[in-house]
Order: sequence, then structure tokens, then C-alpha cells
Amino acid sequence: MIFGRLQRVGTGLLTLTLLLAGCGSDAGNQPIDLSGGVPVGAVLALTGNANVYGQDQKTGLELALKQRNGSGGINGRPLKLALEDSGSDEPGANAAFTLQINRGVLALVGPTLSQQAFSADPIAQRRGVPVVAPSNTATGIPEIGFFISRVSAQSSVIAPLAIDRALKLQPGLKRAAVFYAQDDAYSTAETTIFQKALKEKGLDPVTVQRTQLNDQDFQNQISAALREKPDLIVLSLQAVDGGNLIRQLRELGYKGLIVAGNGMNTPNIYPICQKYCDGLLIAQAYSPELDTPANGAFLKAFKATSGGATPPQLTAQAYTALQVIGEALERLDRRQPLSAATLTAARKELMAEILSGTYQTPLGEIRFTPTGEVIQSQFFVAQVRMDPGGRSGRFALLQ
Amino acid sequence: MDAALLEQMLLGALLALSVYLPLRCGQLSLATPGFYAVGGYVAALLSTGVPAFAGTGATSPLPALLVEMALGGSLAGLIALAIGRPVLRLRGIYLAIATIALVEILRVLNLNLPFTGGAMGIFGIPQPFAHPEGYVLFTLVLLAVACWLCQRLEVLRLGRAMLAIRDDELAAASVGIDTPRTKLIAFVASAVLAGVTGALAAHFLNAWNARVGSFDASITTLAFVVFGGSRFWLGPVLGGLALTALPELLRPVGDLRLILFGGVILLGPLFFPQGLVTAERLRWLGALLGRGRGRRKPLAP
Amino acid sequence: MDLLQILVNGLSVGAVYGLFALGYTLVFSVLGVINFAHGAVFTVGAYFTYLLIGGAVGANGLLAGLALPFALPIWGALPLAGLGAALVALLVERVAFRPLRRRRADPLLALITSLGAGVILVNLIQLLVGAESYAIPTGALGGLPASFPLLGARVRTVQALLLGIALLLVAMLTLWLEGSRNGKGLQAVAEDAETAQLLGIDSTAMVRLAFGLSGFLAGVAGGLVGLSVSIAGPYFGIGYGLKGLAVLVLGGLGSVPGAVLGGLIVGLAEAFVPADWSGWKDAVSYGFLFLVLLLRPRGLLGRPLPTKV
Repeated sequence: MIFGRLQRVGTGLLTLTLLLAGCGSDAGNQPIDLSGGVPVGAVLALTGNANVYGQDQKTGLELALKQRNGSGGINGRPLKLALEDSGSDEPGANAAFTLQINRGVLALVGPTLSQQAFSADPIAQRRGVPVVAPSNTATGIPEIGFFISRVSAQSSVIAPLAIDRALKLQPGLKRAAVFYAQDDAYSTAETTIFQKALKEKGLDPVTVQRTQLNDQDFQNQISAALREKPDLIVLSLQAVDGGNLIRQLRELGYKGLIVAGNGMNTPNIYPICQKYCDGLLIAQAYSPELDTPANGAFLKAFKATSGGATPPQLTAQAYTALQVIGEALERLDRRQPLSAATLTAARKELMAEILSGTYQTPLGEIRFTPTGEVIQSQFFVAQVRMDPGGRSGRFALLQ
Repeated sequence: MDAALLEQMLLGALLALSVYLPLRCGQLSLATPGFYAVGGYVAALLSTGVPAFAGTGATSPLPALLVEMALGGSLAGLIALAIGRPVLRLRGIYLAIATIALVEILRVLNLNLPFTGGAMGIFGIPQPFAHPEGYVLFTLVLLAVACWLCQRLEVLRLGRAMLAIRDDELAAASVGIDTPRTKLIAFVASAVLAGVTGALAAHFLNAWNARVGSFDASITTLAFVVFGGSRFWLGPVLGGLALTALPELLRPVGDLRLILFGGVILLGPLFFPQGLVTAERLRWLGALLGRGRGRRKPLAP
Repeated sequence: MDLLQILVNGLSVGAVYGLFALGYTLVFSVLGVINFAHGAVFTVGAYFTYLLIGGAVGANGLLAGLALPFALPIWGALPLAGLGAALVALLVERVAFRPLRRRRADPLLALITSLGAGVILVNLIQLLVGAESYAIPTGALGGLPASFPLLGARVRTVQALLLGIALLLVAMLTLWLEGSRNGKGLQAVAEDAETAQLLGIDSTAMVRLAFGLSGFLAGVAGGLVGLSVSIAGPYFGIGYGLKGLAVLVLGGLGSVPGAVLGGLIVGLAEAFVPADWSGWKDAVSYGFLFLVLLLRPRGLLGRPLPTKV
């Protein structure tokens, strides 16, 4: 009977996949494959709805790689970076992490989104591969395990700083309105910190408006908020939705101060809110105006390749993540040559090395806590100053 | 092949079977990702919130996983049962759009309910297996059971009733088939399978959030079935395996990856309008295998 | 309670939904399928508008730094971008729909082939011009103020313009459908393709016409939305694809005035969700859709359901 045969075909196929499943093997105690350079990997959201962030991060990684290999690589051996796309979703991030780990990379930079990190980081943790996250700001990321660290500071320090600054500019502020994207991990994490900071200053928000990451029209929320006659508006939004919201706020007649979080610390907002970006206060984990040799070198490299005047925070943080890995690798290789180490041992040693160092980066001086949380020495508040044409501007540091 | 990718493929095959079940009686339901999300939340909430499910050591207990899968599948099935009757009166593209709306409503619910973790979702989900290989073996068993059940449908009265509805619903009703009930059974079975798969996937993915059940996922799972062929269960299984693997296998082409993926989705139905697995090809394959078997055992009657 | 403000907000958002759903409905009326590449065509229209008003491509993508040697005013750029988008829609019809029609394949397949075409378009955009967002300068409207007061409510000029153009396009489309030979031909094909063929109407040409029109409308809508809220990267139009589905069904599949009415209703329904409940906004439009499907599946202005669908 025909279906009996079909059943056998099916069973045959299943057995085949079962056999294939047995072929997965771990790198284990292999030596490190140093042909072509010291292998590290990165997993970024280059496609999918987070592709803008991934694109900015890619620029940062490329600059850091060039910088590192231009100045001798890892003690004479070049750093070799393999970049993979996570497609902005969790299965994609997991697949890319696994692929990179199987390739035998010593450390990973990524993934772009916090949700992806909660999914993919445990894989790296279980297999003992150091991860330096360039942009995850959700609570609980370094706590995933020993091998997980980040250079992207949470807003806990920066947010209160920005509120302070707003109060200094306009001491009489009384009525704050808060906006955040409720389906975005970064926005929801940051707004909690902003709202707490507001309360501590006696500025209980008169209204909290929720938006969606992909919303483009905010007139309803704006009308509702403006009905409360706010004199301060605090945004935890990304560049695109935040930029649109600012433009619509101003077009609908709001004249007061606007404070925005880290997500909008990028010149990507210029084309969106244009002349209306002017005067925006931004809590920054990275200031393009920071005057240090490390930032100077970064700025110079950035301007040479992209023509843009100001690098986004995401680019600076991605640059920093690879810089950290590069410096730690160099120290480790000096202490015990990579060519003699096994992959498993080198990965573990590298993580310890990453955590123990102090780094002069474009973000300023950074260190890590034993759990892998970044300790950043400086945070900034900037005010956006747009050029008369409204096409470009700068993030003027408020001292 | 890498075990983690294989696991993704197997999960894709299970979801494809979930879309296939209603389609087997002509019902184009795209609700699978919604039920998948529900099942995943059940597993994620239980295993992170209830100590007995979380386990103590590095791995969570396997019986807990089975209970979660049962509960996740049941909840998804109950939702399907509750809304099935009115929704299944719709046909064709109307049913498809109603089920897309359902997926969106579930997504908004998952995002806004006080205990589902908002945008961040639920993370730190404990692992029942230490290695992807464990997941693969477990999922293979699950898939084999699902395939066996689908295979049984071919000979059961219920399965024949489903096919009759697919071919002509009015005619089926006129020969005494309880069409609303049959369609409801297929819809609920689809939901249960998606819920069970979600419960397993939540562990495998370590974290779960509202984005797993989205419009995109609805269309992707439909593509699995269309690509593989919707006449016989082997079609969706192959389609699910192949289309989940494809974006990963296309990694070497870099920036062109998704453009090529789109090309395959575009061209597949043009060249194989019935899908990869058709009755003809199966008969041909069956005959081929049958002959092979015949040569090895020449004395068989 | 500023009822008027809510009305204004709802109508202006609804106009975009309506314009978007019009394209869906034109194609649905002649083919009985949904074109999932429609969102991508909308996006293409927005990028065309940006380039035509003299915008330059950013630092990413293969075309980095490219700018056209001329810059058009917005009222010249919009129709041209519409034409460009129409060509893209015709191309989509050629590769994703016509081969299936020729083989008389299951219309369900068109959902997948058009999805494939959409994936290609979106990723092609990213490959060519990068993922960054672009904006049509706020100055593109000349000396008009950014917003104006209306009986105590404030209306953004761009939104009023959007609403006006949407209504204008629908009026023109309706007149054309009712008054011209081709318009009547299109309706005849929508009614019954086989009878239309017997009457000597070239149904293939009509299908192409429907795609061209839907592409044009999507292109103009994309440009207008780009003007209103900026072009948020290659995935910009996809979000409308889903909302457009809700609108399409609400108004009645295949009904031109229905698409617009559906758009306005969804826009208004969203606007009336209290601000504290804005997280549930999407559930409102889809819950609405769900109810309409259960109570009146043919939608508000749709024809009675054909039995063959």
C-alpha cells in the first residue's frame, strides 16, 4: 500500500536527520586557529527592523579593527574579525552566535538588541566564550554569567544628570510629561530610571504616554500630554520615533524643554526632527566633544571614512567593545602566548583579562565590575544646536 | 551540520505541521504564531516562577518540560476552542485575515499583561538539556509523533472527512460529514501543536517575548507549507526544515543573503505550484524505494 | 475633552491608512488576492520622492553619495515618484503574479510570491541606499506654517495636506472608474473576469492597470508620509501593510470607497483610545476587525461574499 511506503520514506528522512544531529562537536581542547589572524566575532542586526543600529555599529567595529591592525595588531599578529547578521530576531542571533563559536572565535561583540542578548548570551556563557555587548542596556545582562560583559552603561547615572541639567537651565520646572515606547526593551528600561529621577526631584510626571517603536504619528499622545500643560518633556525613545515625536511636538506648538535619553544620542535624529531638534537636551554615554586622545583618534578615523561630522553613540560603543577585546588579547598574549594555548583555556583567560583591565576609550576611561558591568568614569549632557538650514547640527557639551 | 540549527529546523517543521492541519481541510489559518507565543509564555512563566519547574542544578527536570508542554498546548487549544466556531465560519482570505488579527491581539495582550514582562519578555529560562543535541533528540521524537498522527489521519475517518471538506465543503456536508466539527478539530489540533512547540522553543531560545508571535511569522510559516506542498504531511515538514535552514545556509553570500532568500520564496511557487512534495513525486519515490527493497529481498512474496 | 482635536488626529492618520488600503483593494478586486509587496512599493515611492526633491544618499549602501542632478519641488516630485512606484508595481505583477495566473495556479501562492518580491525590494533598498532614515526637508512646503489652529484644535499642515490629497485621489479614482472606458473595464473584470473577457475586455491589460494604479497610489502615499514623518529606513512601509489589511477588510475587500472609509474609521478608533490605554491601541483596531469579520464578513461597503473565495 502506497501510504505504508510513504511512512517508510518519512521514517528514513527522520533517521537521516538524526544521524546528522550526531555530527555537532565542540572545539574542546583544540589549539586556536591563528591562520589569518587572531579570530574574534561580531553579531549585529544588519537586517530586520534594528538594521539602523547594526549599520552604525558595523562602522564602529571596522574603525576599531583598522586602528588595531594599523598599530601592530595583537603583538604583530593581525586581529581577524568575522561579522555575522542576526536579522534583528532571537533565532537569528542564536544561530549567528553558535556559528561564530563553532568557528573558534576567542570573543564575541554583540548582539545589538537586549532581547537578543537574553536569548543568545546564555549560549556563549554555556560554551565559555567572552561576550562584550556594545549596546545592551537592559537590566540583568551582565548577570547572565561570568562570560557576559558590556560597555554600554545603563541610564541610572545619566538620566538624573540630565534632569539636574534641565532644572539648572529652568529652575521653575513643575510639570513633567514622560514618553516611552512600551514595546522596546531599551525604552522601558530607561524610562523607569527617568521617572524615578523625576520623582526624587519632586517632579512627579503629570502624564506618562506609551508609544510603539514603529509608530510614526504621535498626535494622539501629544494632544493628551499637552492637555496637561507640561513645561518639561522627557523621552525614552530611539532615533526615529523620538525624532518624529519631537518634530510633531514642536509643530503642534510645544515650546518647553525636551530631555531625551541615550537612544537619541545619534546624528541620525538630524534628518528627522531637522530644525526642531534644536535645544534638545540629551543624556549621553558618549560625547563627541570629549577632549581626550582616545576620542580624538576615533573622531579623526570616523571623519575620514564616513564624511559625517559626529559619530553616533552606538558607533563609539561598538568601537570601544572591540578596542577592549583587542587590548585584553594583547595583554593575554604577552602573558601566555596564544599560539601555545588551547581555545577553551584562552577564552576563559581572556574573559578574566577583559574584566581586570582599565581602558582609555572614546567613551572616556572605563573598567568593569567582577560581574562584567561597565564602570564609566564620565557621563555627559549635551544640548543639540542645529545649523540654520536645519540639515545638520552638533551635540554641544554642557559643562 | 550544527545541532542548534537542526533544532531550529525541527521547530520550523513542527510549526509547518500546525499550519498544515487546518489547511488539510481547506482552512487557511495563520494563527499558528499566536498559539506558539502562548505556549512559550506558559513554559517561560512556569519554569522561571515555580521552583518545582525550575529545578535546582544546571538543568531543569524533564518531567517539568513535559507538563509545561501539556499545559501550553492545552491553553492554546482552549483558546482555539473558544473562538473556533465563529471564526471558522469564515473562508479563504477572510479566515486568513481574521487569524492574523487574532495573532496581533494576542501579541498586544502579551505585551501589556502585568505578568509577561513587557517588551523585555521573560528571560533566564532554565534548560532541560545541557546540549542542543538533547533538544534535537527530544524534538525528533515529538516530530515523529506528530508525523505519525498526521499519517494516521490518512486512513482515519476524520482525515478523510477533512480531505472531503477541502475538496468541496458543500458536498462533504451533504454526505453527512459534520463540517463545523471537523474544521474545529483541525483548528484546535493546530493550536495544540503550536502551543506544545512554543513551550519547547521557549527553553531552547532561553528567552521569550511578544515579538515571537508576529505577522511576519504568520506569513513565514505559511510559506513553509506552500513551499513544501500542502497535500501530504511530508511537504510541510520538508518546507519547514528547508526554509528555516535557507537563510543560515545563505550566510556566505553576505549582503545578498535576504535578497536571495526572497528570490527563492518568489520562484519556489512558480516552479513548484503544488509544493516540493506532490502525490506524483511521492509515488515515484515510493516506487523507487519499493524496488530497492525488492532487490534486496528477491524472495519476498 | 477636545473632541475636535481627536477627530482631526484620527482623520489625518486614517487618510494614510485609506490611501494605503486603496492599493490593496484595487489589486484584490481584479485578482482576489492580497499583494504583500504593496508595503515595499509604498517604501520605494517614499525613496523616489526623496531623491526627486534633490536628496542625496547617505554614506552607506552601494549608491552612497548619489544625488540626482536636479531638484524638483514637492508637487512635481510626488506624481513622478508615483509613476516610478507604478513601474515597480508592474514589475512585481510581471514576476510574482502573471506566471501564476498563466498557469491557473492556486491564488494562495500569490501571497507567498508577492511576499518574496517584497523581501527582495526591501533588502535591495538597503543594499543600495543603506538603512539610515531620510527626511524630506520641512521647508519643502514652501512658506506654509507647520501647523494652524482650527476651531480650538491644532492641525499639522502636512496632515491636512495628506487628508486633502487622499480625498482628491479617491474622488478622481471614483470618477475615473465610473466614467471612463478603462475604468468600467476594470470594474467588469472585478465583477467577473470570464464574462468581461467574452465582452472583449482584455483582462490581462486590466490587471496590469490595477497594479499600475495601486503602485501609483502607494508611491504618492509613501512620499506624503515621508514628508509628514520622515522615511524610517527600508522597513518603513511594512508596518502599514498589516494595518492596511485591517482597513481593507473593514471597508470591504475590493471596495474603493470602502478602503477610504475603513481607513478613516480605523484612524478615528485609534484616536479615541484613551491616552492611558495607548498600549492597547493596536488591539483596538484588530479587535474591531475581528468583530466586523464575525458580524459582517463582507465589510462595511463590500459586495456580498462570492462563494468561490
